Amino acid sequence: MLVRGTVSVILTKRQRLCYVVCCAWPPVLHRSAQGGAIARPEPPPNRPIATCSTCTPFLATSTPSAPTRSRRRRNAGATYPAPERAAPFTAVATDGSQIYPDRHVEPTCYLINTSRVAFQYGTLETPVLEATPPHFGHHAKLAERLDAELGRVTNEIVSAQRDEQELKALLETSREAHRDDRPLVALADGTLIRWMIRGMDDRDLEEEMIGRYAALLEDFRREELPLASYVSMPGNAELINLLGVHLRMDEAGGAPDQEGALAGLLDRWLFAETLAPGERSATFTSASRIQTRYAEEDRICYFYAHVPAGPDSSAHPDDGEIARVEVPRWVADSPDLLDRVHGLVTSECAKGEGYPMILSEAHEHAVIRAPEKERFYQMIERALQEQGLPPMRRSRKARSKRSPAV
Amino acid sequence: MPDATAEIIEASTRAFVAEVHDGQDAPAFGSWVEVEQSDTGHTLYGLVSHMEMSARAPGRQAQAFGQSQEELRKERPQVMALLRTTFRAQVLAYRDGPAGDDGGALRQTLPPRLPSVHDFVRCCAPETVRALGAPYDFLRTLVQDPDPAVPTDDLLVAVLCQVRDAHGEAAGDEPLVEAGRTLSRLFDDDHERLQSILRRVE
Repeated sequence: MLVRGTVSVILTKRQRLCYVVCCAWPPVLHRSAQGGAIARPEPPPNRPIATCSTCTPFLATSTPSAPTRSRRRRNAGATYPAPERAAPFTAVATDGSQIYPDRHVEPTCYLINTSRVAFQYGTLETPVLEATPPHFGHHAKLAERLDAELGRVTNEIVSAQRDEQELKALLETSREAHRDDRPLVALADGTLIRWMIRGMDDRDLEEEMIGRYAALLEDFRREELPLASYVSMPGNAELINLLGVHLRMDEAGGAPDQEGALAGLLDRWLFAETLAPGERSATFTSASRIQTRYAEEDRICYFYAHVPAGPDSSAHPDDGEIARVEVPRWVADSPDLLDRVHGLVTSECAKGEGYPMILSEAHEHAVIRAPEKERFYQMIERALQEQGLPPMRRSRKARSKRSPAV
Repeated sequence: MPDATAEIIEASTRAFVAEVHDGQDAPAFGSWVEVEQSDTGHTLYGLVSHMEMSARAPGRQAQAFGQSQEELRKERPQVMALLRTTFRAQVLAYRDGPAGDDGGALRQTLPPRLPSVHDFVRCCAPETVRALGAPYDFLRTLVQDPDPAVPTDDLLVAVLCQVRDAHGEAAGDEPLVEAGRTLSRLFDDDHERLQSILRRVE
């Protein structure tokens, strides 16, 4: 089944919504007959990237009348080459890993492990490479609630705590690694939009955790520590959805119904057609509702970048992926900071075979492997024993998995 | 013990493996190192017989990047930080007390207890190397029960060089001649083998 090349219609202007994407050839997206992967045809030579010069192009993802939006009016179809990363340069990254509560183990216990990495590129200074021991510095109110309901700690709560610990560790490590007159970028793994916090079935707890996350974002801004996050193979379709809105408006004006053809498409496929290796897209603002708790200056913006898969990826333009890079608005508002983030991400991916090297390193130090998980349970068992508490109980199922007979 | 060179990470009666601390130089092949046993108070003496450099984390393997060590430190700082140097030392002597002349008799034989993992390792001072001299009983252990992973004669060359350096020029050839006599007896008058070793010491 073919999802037709309706994306090609887009060189249109609207008073509030203007999308400028490639149009000189139909960027047809095929869906395979089996409903599996979507393949792209080879682009024709010399495909132009169209820009709209007749309108005042800017992108507004929602509530376009908000005054701050107009400050970032940009050509939505613009592309920007990757700038060189400066040297010396401070790059900081953290990552988190966890052992979720296991319903086959009593008492309920879980673990969060956070790594900290700081590189002073271009210098011979010793890098920071460490994983901090589990630390639950949560608010007393939350601690009380968790203690009272430890048996009900869900994976969502643990994940939300891990995200908070990661960002907190990133802030602390950035403070320590920051040097006067040396540019810095703090790079997080995954999205900065904490939409997954919703769904804990506890409104107060959700609000408290979002509030604390927003406070950390605020600290980055107040201390002028540029923050960015990297999303590999992003599944977002925000811009595609916008195109849908646009097409509906077109339909009202008599254009043919093409909206259905956008179903199932992702933003990154769109940018795979427009971004040359190394380039980034214009910067857009996310309209995610969870961000209403973020300060206006910390609302999350994003751009897509065609990151290189290695130092010689120019020889293989199909190598490398379209990644999504998120930054708070105060970073997005500064062309210099955007360039700094873009330069770092590109250089990191070139060194990390398509994925930021520093994030791989942060992952390596955070990850909890199976033997470590087993050791964690042994430590809990020992702690229970030392305090004269009843021993840890594991379900028959969990035990049978540990020592299968032959 | 801030001046410790390394820390034991594996131990047995005959030998121990130690990891060199960050910022410290690894001891030379064939040199003497000492360990003050935290549990017995004994001092153990080992001869560095094998060294290795590898990735610190299991499952991670070093790869070629085509960059100099300085470039790596500047652009891939984790690479050098994640490497570690380890060495294996054959335990050949011990003293019933702390290091130094006041620590009791120095016996050129295996200690009653094995060293402990996490004990610190230091390089021996020249006076200790001199004390580990005649009658050179440890050479018998080296020749008759060699570490199978190490070419024995090359280790003996390194040991004799250490002996010569510890005594200095003022002592003349006498210390080397005495060690050579011991080796000659151990080699059953295999003069060719002894000469090959002595040639490489000069």
